[in-house]
Amino acid sequence: MRSRRTPWLFLAPFAVLFLAFFVVPIGYAIWQSFIGVRRTGALGLGGSQTTFAGLRNYADALAQTAFVPSVLRILLFGVVVVPVMIIAATALALLLDAASARWPRFFRTAYFLPYGIPGVLASIIWTFLYLPGMSPILEVFGWFGIQAEPLAGDGVLWAIANITIWEFAGYNMLVVVAQLQAVPAELYDAARVDGANAWHMVWRIKFPLIRPAVVLTTVFTIIGTIQLFSEPIVLKRSAPAITNDYTPNISAYNQAFLYNNYGLAAAEAVLLALVAFVLSFGFLRLVGRGGRAGGAR
Amino acid sequence: MRRLSVRRVAALLVVLALLATGCGTGRRTGPIQLTFWSWVPGIDKSVNLWNRTHPGVQVHLDQVTAGIDGGYAKMFSGVRAGSGPDLAQVEYWAIPAFMLEHGLVDLNRYGVRKYQDRFVPWQWHQGEFNGGVYAVPQASGPMALYYRADLFKKYGLQPPKTWADYAKAAAVIKQKDPTARIGTFPPANSQWFIALAWQAGAHWFGATDKWSVNIDDPATRKVAAYWDDLRRRDLISTMQDVQTGWYKAVHDGKIVSWVGPQWGDALLKGNAPNTAGKWRVAPMPQWDPEHETAANWGGSSTAVLRGSDHPTEAMEFAVWLNTDRHSINDLIEGGYGWPAAANVFKGSALDRPDPFFGGQRYNDVFADADRHIDTRWRWIPTTMSLIDTLNSGFTGAVTGNGSFAGTLGTAQSAAVRDMRRKGLQVVTPPER
Amino acid sequence: MNRTGPGWRILVTAILAIVAVYFLVPVYWLIIASTKTTDELLGTSPLWFTGDPHLWSNLSQVFSYNGHIYLRWVGNTILYSGVGALAATLLAAAAGYAMAKFEFRGREAVFNIVLGGVLVPATVLALPLYLMFSSAGLADTYWSVLLPSVVSPFGVYLCRIYCEASVPDDLLEAARVDGAGELRIFFTVVLRIISPALVTVFLFQLIGIWNNYFLPLVMLSDPNLYPLPLGLMSWMSITDRVPVLYQLTVGGSLVSVVPLAIAIVVLQRFWRTGLTAGSVKA
Repeated sequence: MRSRRTPWLFLAPFAVLFLAFFVVPIGYAIWQSFIGVRRTGALGLGGSQTTFAGLRNYADALAQTAFVPSVLRILLFGVVVVPVMIIAATALALLLDAASARWPRFFRTAYFLPYGIPGVLASIIWTFLYLPGMSPILEVFGWFGIQAEPLAGDGVLWAIANITIWEFAGYNMLVVVAQLQAVPAELYDAARVDGANAWHMVWRIKFPLIRPAVVLTTVFTIIGTIQLFSEPIVLKRSAPAITNDYTPNISAYNQAFLYNNYGLAAAEAVLLALVAFVLSFGFLRLVGRGGRAGGAR
Repeated sequence: MRRLSVRRVAALLVVLALLATGCGTGRRTGPIQLTFWSWVPGIDKSVNLWNRTHPGVQVHLDQVTAGIDGGYAKMFSGVRAGSGPDLAQVEYWAIPAFMLEHGLVDLNRYGVRKYQDRFVPWQWHQGEFNGGVYAVPQASGPMALYYRADLFKKYGLQPPKTWADYAKAAAVIKQKDPTARIGTFPPANSQWFIALAWQAGAHWFGATDKWSVNIDDPATRKVAAYWDDLRRRDLISTMQDVQTGWYKAVHDGKIVSWVGPQWGDALLKGNAPNTAGKWRVAPMPQWDPEHETAANWGGSSTAVLRGSDHPTEAMEFAVWLNTDRHSINDLIEGGYGWPAAANVFKGSALDRPDPFFGGQRYNDVFADADRHIDTRWRWIPTTMSLIDTLNSGFTGAVTGNGSFAGTLGTAQSAAVRDMRRKGLQVVTPPER
Repeated sequence: MNRTGPGWRILVTAILAIVAVYFLVPVYWLIIASTKTTDELLGTSPLWFTGDPHLWSNLSQVFSYNGHIYLRWVGNTILYSGVGALAATLLAAAAGYAMAKFEFRGREAVFNIVLGGVLVPATVLALPLYLMFSSAGLADTYWSVLLPSVVSPFGVYLCRIYCEASVPDDLLEAARVDGAGELRIFFTVVLRIISPALVTVFLFQLIGIWNNYFLPLVMLSDPNLYPLPLGLMSWMSITDRVPVLYQLTVGGSLVSVVPLAIAIVVLQRFWRTGLTAGSVKA
């Protein structure tokens, strides 16, 4: 007979690890964000004690560091990358699904390929592709008289955007394609009988039905772009505009590991998590939770 | 289970205790193992030499990323986690940061003072705080002007003796070849700029009984204004130096000279080998031809990190590495910088002509520069953050937001803030 | 408008082809660049091979450099990603099953907390995880990367959905009546039914772990423990002092990309079936 403990036994391994590696670290981060330091001795090199710093680390992060600009930068990045990514993924999915597409499997595979390449590797490859003299792309641009320097100056943000889109558009496209292929053919037949033309098919049938997939990929893309770290870190040496506080994650990482300001880093991490929460929940609210995958309609 | 008699248990415990005390009293079953993290090219030769001649103490070298690019982050993590190396490469500007984290061992306790006279005094002082000695100096980075003799000849130029001459030469080069420039102002490498401010007589930091910070002083402003002017007139490139794109430009002859450190020779040789034979070295341009001053970029030490189980042996290795004649020659081959060991220039690998520089005895220029460095310079514990602040400001200036001179004020307030955030007391110059 | 006419066909195919070029150019470049030495990388045209390709010597140098550390990195990646994803899948399946097929107090609360975990950026966790592991003396060990990777809130979510939708209660009851123990039911009945979801969770977590640069960067200082991306980055960051690493980084990247590319081609199928399972089961 089933005992009352059974579900907990199945849940336990996951729950224990979840507690240890999700809940506790968040609590630790929050605690750490309220900690400061006091020094004694000549030149402050005698001893140090941790003290309670109240909200000082948060005030510091918001007012005194380049953290807020980095959040704004990442929001700008997101506002551009998320729609471009989703539109590209959807457009490609629709194109592939169109009756007139030839060799759909080959194209699907080609587009999906970059997803299997870890972000760091993709960034290493693209670093070379952005260097004049080493890049076949820039060489070809040169034939048309276009002298591009993607890594110089502030334009590097869009160089990073390109890498992100290159990496994930194929994957997002596949999610949409999967949803499209699940549409029963009878729906199309019925619509055709009712006099719908090709455009109607796209607008009235395909779009609404791929909505859950699009919402899912959008939420994940938002979360991903908020966390941008590896791509700028790899490009950093060749792109002077990428400073040590270029994105919120880079800023928190450097505060903790390079400057040893653990309290400040923790405050930045907590603030970042809040931004991610607000954006994700906000977006889900916006689309009315109709996009919850698997939710009953 | 009953067969486990008291006698057996006692015997087991005795054996275990013997083993334990055996470990403690130094009855080793093998040589002492030390780990050493460094990024100096060619340092493995010295390490191998030590290992061959000191079978009782073996050093394992890990080639890590340069400190500022992530090496120091790893070291701080290691010290905090208790899994760090015994020895590490710590540049002079980073020593105070390590001090604040109590990351370095006071070698005074292990008798390092007896080696003091083997080293150049100002470099030794970089590791001294409150009567303790926290690092064994390794090398410094006196600067000079590396220039392409062939291209200078082609453009009818002599190596500039003053900064005014440098600006004139820059104009000539741009006019003769619009795609080439005399050099670059690296926007994200403010250590280079700091060295130039040092040459101009600036004293940004003091560490007597309190820390003092004065970045936006007249000497520094003069240097910043000078480069602002060259930038506005498009007489210098603003690409980042010492990275792939820059090496490509050097390779192609688009960067014609470099105000660079002595340890830059290895970088040029390794990354632009096709330009061999075309370079020469001249003293760097001066502000005042009557009073020669030199700049110093970098300089590092070998430090023993907190948590090392064998600080005495580690210290001995550090001293040997940086004073032994054979070790120094190996390090020179690798291009480690200007020796901190006193009186080793004569007869060393530095003291000879070099084919990469067309047979010039180029190190003579650096030796002279080394004699003219202002040795009172100190660093603060938050230098790393300051370097980043300056990088951001300079990068902004280069892309059209602000100027190099304007960055100095920002850097000053940021530096003071960083220090106070760490709980340190800072003395600043009275407001103007 | 006739959407299946030859005109449309050509247009659509042309667009798809141009897009394909965009996605494949980096791989094309990688193959060419791997045949060049550092000098040639900086000196020759990036569009085509030189007359004298050095692919094999380059690759053998990639493997042998620094005591075959590249092979260690490959092994580490398989460990962290493969074993990690496997463990994560099992744990997520068990948890998802528990929440789908059993009623217990606090079930929804627990589920919502887990769901919240999906939204927490991994980087927010890495810093405090590092501090926790280092106080336990476990930083810079295999566990420091493996343990946190074994937790997949998204996996729990997917498995719960799938279990609710595909595992019939009467089948479970029948098995219980037959006297099968709970564990046995889980392993023999449930897992088999939800296997498409398991594959999805496994692949999702696999990709997530090998894309996670932040966690190993923060946890590891010993190069012998590095996964591939961290290892290749460590080479890339010292290229100006050790110029041969330009060509080795490129060669090393090619070696990683090729098996990943093959795996993607093969596994593409599973993505199609797995991902829809959750969204269409309505």
